[in-house]
Amino acid sequence: MSTVNVYKQRPDAAHAESPLFHAGLHELAGKGKSTAGVVLREKKLLGHLTLRGDGHDAAFAGAVHKITGLELPGALGLVVKGETSLQWLGPDEWLLIVPGGTEFAIEQKLREALVGQHYQAVNVSGGQTIVELSGPKVRELLMKSTSYDVHPRNFPVGKAVGTVFAKSQLVIRHTGEDTWELVVRRSFADYIWLWLQDASAEYGLAIEA
Amino acid sequence: MSQINRLSRGGRIDRSQPLSFSFNGQTYQGYAGDTLAAALLANGVDVVGRSFKYSRPRGIVAAGCEEPNAVLQIGSTEAATIPNVRATQQALYAGLTASSVNGWPSVNTDLMGILGKVGGGMMPPGFYYKTFMYPQNLWLTYEKYIRKAAGLGRAPKENDPDSYDYMNQHCDVLVVGGGAAGLAAALAAGRSGARVILADEQEEFGGHLLDSRETLDGKPASEWVAKVLAELAGMAEVTLLPRATVHGYHDHNFLTIHERRTDHLGETAPLGQVRQRLHRVRATRVVLATGAHERPLVYSNNDVPGNMLAGAVSTYVRRYGVAPGKRLVLSTTNDYAYRVALDWLEAGLQVVAIADARPNPKGAWVEEARAKGVRIMTGSAVIEARGSKRVSAACVARIDAKAHKVTSSGDWLDCDLVASSGGYSPVVHLASHLGGRPVWREDILAFVPGEGFQQRVCAGAVNGVFALGDVLTDGFEAGVKAATETGFKPVSGELPKVFGRHEEPSIALFQVPHDKSTARAPKQFVDQQNDVTAAGIELATREGFESVEHVKRYTALGFGTDQGKLGNINGLAIAARSMGISITQMGTTMFRPNYTPVSFGAVAGRNCGALFDPVRYTALHSWHLKNGAEFEDVGQWKRPWYFPKRGEDMHAAVGRECKAVRDSVGILDASTLGKIDIQGPDAREFLNRVYTNAWTKLDVGKARYGLMCKEDGMVFDDGVTACLADNHFVMTTTTGGAARVMQWLEIYQQTEWPELKVYFTSVTDHWATMTLSGPNSRKLLAEVTDIDLGKDAFPFMTWKEGLVGGVPARVFRISFTGELSYEVNVQADYAMGVLEKIVAAGKKYNLTPYGTETMHVLRAEKGFIIVGQETDGSVTPDDLNMGWCVGRTKPFSWIGWRGMNRQDCMRENRKQLVGLKPVNPDKVLPEGAQLVFDPKQPVPMSMVGHVTSSYFSTSMGYSFALALVKGGLKRMGERVFAPLADGTLIEAEIVSSVFLDPKGDRQNI
Repeated sequence: MSTVNVYKQRPDAAHAESPLFHAGLHELAGKGKSTAGVVLREKKLLGHLTLRGDGHDAAFAGAVHKITGLELPGALGLVVKGETSLQWLGPDEWLLIVPGGTEFAIEQKLREALVGQHYQAVNVSGGQTIVELSGPKVRELLMKSTSYDVHPRNFPVGKAVGTVFAKSQLVIRHTGEDTWELVVRRSFADYIWLWLQDASAEYGLAIEA
Repeated sequence: MSQINRLSRGGRIDRSQPLSFSFNGQTYQGYAGDTLAAALLANGVDVVGRSFKYSRPRGIVAAGCEEPNAVLQIGSTEAATIPNVRATQQALYAGLTASSVNGWPSVNTDLMGILGKVGGGMMPPGFYYKTFMYPQNLWLTYEKYIRKAAGLGRAPKENDPDSYDYMNQHCDVLVVGGGAAGLAAALAAGRSGARVILADEQEEFGGHLLDSRETLDGKPASEWVAKVLAELAGMAEVTLLPRATVHGYHDHNFLTIHERRTDHLGETAPLGQVRQRLHRVRATRVVLATGAHERPLVYSNNDVPGNMLAGAVSTYVRRYGVAPGKRLVLSTTNDYAYRVALDWLEAGLQVVAIADARPNPKGAWVEEARAKGVRIMTGSAVIEARGSKRVSAACVARIDAKAHKVTSSGDWLDCDLVASSGGYSPVVHLASHLGGRPVWREDILAFVPGEGFQQRVCAGAVNGVFALGDVLTDGFEAGVKAATETGFKPVSGELPKVFGRHEEPSIALFQVPHDKSTARAPKQFVDQQNDVTAAGIELATREGFESVEHVKRYTALGFGTDQGKLGNINGLAIAARSMGISITQMGTTMFRPNYTPVSFGAVAGRNCGALFDPVRYTALHSWHLKNGAEFEDVGQWKRPWYFPKRGEDMHAAVGRECKAVRDSVGILDASTLGKIDIQGPDAREFLNRVYTNAWTKLDVGKARYGLMCKEDGMVFDDGVTACLADNHFVMTTTTGGAARVMQWLEIYQQTEWPELKVYFTSVTDHWATMTLSGPNSRKLLAEVTDIDLGKDAFPFMTWKEGLVGGVPARVFRISFTGELSYEVNVQADYAMGVLEKIVAAGKKYNLTPYGTETMHVLRAEKGFIIVGQETDGSVTPDDLNMGWCVGRTKPFSWIGWRGMNRQDCMRENRKQLVGLKPVNPDKVLPEGAQLVFDPKQPVPMSMVGHVTSSYFSTSMGYSFALALVKGGLKRMGERVFAPLADGTLIEAEIVSSVFLDPKGDRQNI
């Protein structure tokens, strides 16, 4: 374990500001139209871990499965179990999302299970957030924002794609028939938030706390 | 106010919904369902504008996007105004305000008209260029008045209040055009289950079927249209886009559609709605069912209001219940145009005569008209119209089309409307956007789409298929073909029955002969929008402009908003005849997007205002705002530039901030620096290869500054990298270089050294970084941390973990100011709380927030470089006098080593980084100023370098600069001069680039 510095970065109790804190979403909650075509919710302060390793190596996949209970997904795949999800980001890269505050313990367990292997585990919890979009007009909203084809024939539930979004980039995850998630980098969160408000104006936007 | 030309019945307008509108200040009424053009015609408005060059009065000619004259300015306010709207494509809404785009001071009394009339004969093509070109410097003066008098619409002066956006579409089959062929194609493709988009530029789907005399299954064609639309609307995977012009066909079946979503509702969009939308479509297959445009005939004075396209007259009568006149003369080359006369008769109006250029026409339409007693003058054409602001008579004469001769004396017929039809030109534009040149078919006297390399099918009139029954079949088959080619099962379907009429071939006639020569006959207009005449085209060919592209550019044929939709084929036929070659030999000009004008709003979409470009913020941004920061853009980041107090300018604020850091302590938000987490057993070796200096011996717990070069040995990034554990490092990069360094590392690992076991992950956004800098930083930090900050426990260039403000932090003791400094890194979610605790504790130390400007001054005083400021991609580490940072004995050939050992990088007298001290300590050299050794030499002087950074130092009390100077390191104490653009000269002494504390005593305490 001494070859890598594993550090508990989240305090047990402290004032926390998620990437969309300044948007004051909690104050906006419940104020939109009840018929809003798009409902937005920030799934904030979760534990985000980037995992890199050889997915074809059974030892790597096995260790990840042992700790997370999730099979390492293949290209553009997303697997979800309860509050934990594991998503393919690239040929040797995955995003593991766990309940906020558990990321340090899970990283330690992963490292134990992966001992002797070449891999990387990095806590990126402070660097990104999840914006969940639901409602009947989300697909249109996404069509305005990304050139990737979001039709269910091409983008079924359980698929996740890193792609262009407006003039930025993010990860789009299809988590339910009318439910999608965006993995947004902290520094771009305000731009994405402004974009989503503007692009959903014609459908009506409601905020969920 | 009465609609004098409105028929008492008929049309698809809603007579229960009258709408008021204004045109050139006058109020009129029309009905819901009208286009603006239909409403103007209904009100007997003959003159809608003045022509571009000759300022002749012009009226409405067409009923669709090909309209050359009724190009208007719409909107009652500056913010809402849009130029160059085709009145034929603008739906009428209550309160619509329109005006002519040209005709100054007014369309009915026009100063230019006098010039046009008197000077007309003296205004050949190229007139403006030929006359006003000399003296050249006066062109600007001329241009102002010419543009005002001629020109088209004007741009709005205020911001458009509406929103516009893009929609990215993907489909199996895109059907372009919602007429008979397009509807049949969409039906076939839609029934197969394919994802289909049907786009049509008009207010309603149906195209020509909406005003056709023909029946489908014995019923009006519009009933079939309604039935098909209902079926399509019920299909989940079919998207119907009315008011949506497919205006560009781009590579890889990428097409763009300009949808006008609310332009029919009012001059601004209803609250919350998007006014116009640009659909960016990736279509697996495209069905082009774009139809055909009727060609007008070119005869003398064919531009006087009251000369119209034959088909347009039918459209106004049947679709809008408007008769644009009382007494019609029709001049035609084909059978189909005869329906206009039948429609006219049915409306209870008088058909004076039909002039048919063919000697002995006998088709079904012809016989129908003949049976109704219409006077048909065979082998004849209208050779000239008469009238100033409205047609009053037409001269019909016998002609020999082949010999281009008038063979009888003309017969002047009293009339107020001349309708002409010279045949039908398939709308081949989209099919030709990617370079497939259209092909001339002599049998139908039309260009049809040439070979296309795209996955497209053409159907209906665009394919040269004109008979309605054939069009429906062609469309349906195209839909089946497109859908099956994208993997869907073919469907069959019953198509409605059409009452077929036998039509005879039409005759080739473009310019109608006149009894005078083309040059002497009254003007025969080819392109009305650009005032191009048949005589002008003949002149162009005589002057040697033989290529159709040259004819176009010399005469302006086919420019403007209509892009030659009416004039081009006539124009090139005239050029071909004039040169004695065939139309095939002549060819067409290149068709390019856009098919019709697209507003800037639609092009910009949402990417304007606050969304023009992404702006990146740090976790501490709201604190900076609260504390009055001015911001600087660094890449896409907003970084605090300086924090002015009330009444302070930048100079004063930066002076105060610098002093605070040098005297006590300051705090900087350094979160934007790139941070990359690096793990793996070969991490250290990897660093050895990407950095210029050595990393083998960096112990855990320590940090080191590194330079990165490209292969050519030129510096491209720098930063501090710390060893967190044997196999674990965290690298920092410049703010602007973060993404490209990350890519650089990945590229080298993946392509050059895949055997090195190392992974990289960006943690830039995860960590927020606050830099405490100044002699009191240790005391201040000690108040909020449990880390032992003692000189020996936590020395310079090391890092520690511990709580800061109750939050786990990694603290790096590194310095960019030359002062005792600590960089505090915490998970960004918790940074604000930590900052507030530090700030509270910092009060007694006069803790001063500082921005990038102060950071720049402080680091420059220490001679620390900024990549991109001191470097420009042509500077080696040795040029920067940073040879100490080059690991000359590293065993593996690292990136840049070979490059920096090239002869040119080793030579004497390269530009080297030095300090400059202006002789006058109050003079600040401008950054970028060129330097010379001898200011007395004649211009152009030999330049020996330039200033890279320059500031006034409050701490030192004088101005100073960093500069790259030829052989500078050997010229210490010598003088350089900066001759400035204003004629003044700044003299400076070459000194060491390290101005302050060269031994580092201030940071090593």
